[in-house]
Amino acid sequence: MPTLLFANLPVENFARSRAFFEALGYHFNPQFTNENTGCLVISDTIYVMLLEHAPFAGFAPRPIGDTHGEVQASLSLTAPSREAIDEILAKAEAAGATVDPEISDRGYMYSRQFTDVDGHIWTYLWMDPAAVEAH
Amino acid sequence: MTTLAFVNLPVADLGRSTVFYEALGYRFNPQFTDEKAGCLIISDTIYAMLLVRPFFGEMFGRPVADAHATTSIMVCLMVDSKDEVDRLCNAAIASGGRKYKDVEDRGFMYGWGFEDPDGHVWEVGWMDPAHVMPEGEPA
Repeated sequence: MPTLLFANLPVENFARSRAFFEALGYHFNPQFTNENTGCLVISDTIYVMLLEHAPFAGFAPRPIGDTHGEVQASLSLTAPSREAIDEILAKAEAAGATVDPEISDRGYMYSRQFTDVDGHIWTYLWMDPAAVEAH
Repeated sequence: MTTLAFVNLPVADLGRSTVFYEALGYRFNPQFTDEKAGCLIISDTIYAMLLVRPFFGEMFGRPVADAHATTSIMVCLMVDSKDEVDRLCNAAIASGGRKYKDVEDRGFMYGWGFEDPDGHVWEVGWMDPAHVMPEGEPA
């Protein structure tokens, strides 16, 4: 069985976050989703658990930080093409995210990022497979 | 095309973090590793980018949070056996990590966790595949 990633992030209002990520085209796994926690399916090995502050604090060893003013982590996800990135960023902006105007385009690598309603930063990147050496 | 995830985390001392994660049995992708960043390979779809704090702050234009003081992300990995859960957590603790929670064993689900030297929280778990419903099928 492949390793699975569940990145757990605190959100202020799960219903709002759910609507936001559904507007981006994602869906939630109903087995691990309830009214204040949701399992956002990115791929068959990558998931993001969005937990409202109360349930998140129940697991976290320390108080939740200021996710708007500071940054403790961010997520980068690969996308199949530049166009796919532009499309998801446009959907994010329409759904209330703050899109970073800076576009990083180095030819073999293209990336853009947005900040979601909770201050979490999401980067989408495309890499030319030919430029990525097998590791 | 398979989606890859990179969890970007700030670290105070990349050399220390490299030693710590190598002690867990992980390796770094040299193509994306230099003196400011280490690309930790967790699987062929999951990576953690360990970025030195000043560089991390510059990338995102915000002050970098102290994970020893607050928790704003918990990274959970589900691995393929209970033994692998124990191996990773024990190696982390033997290498200067801190235990984050005691073993929770519910039979079909098993897990515990550690904090890395920067205070980032990692949960490691195993789930009986038979217990997990096919994705998308309502409970």
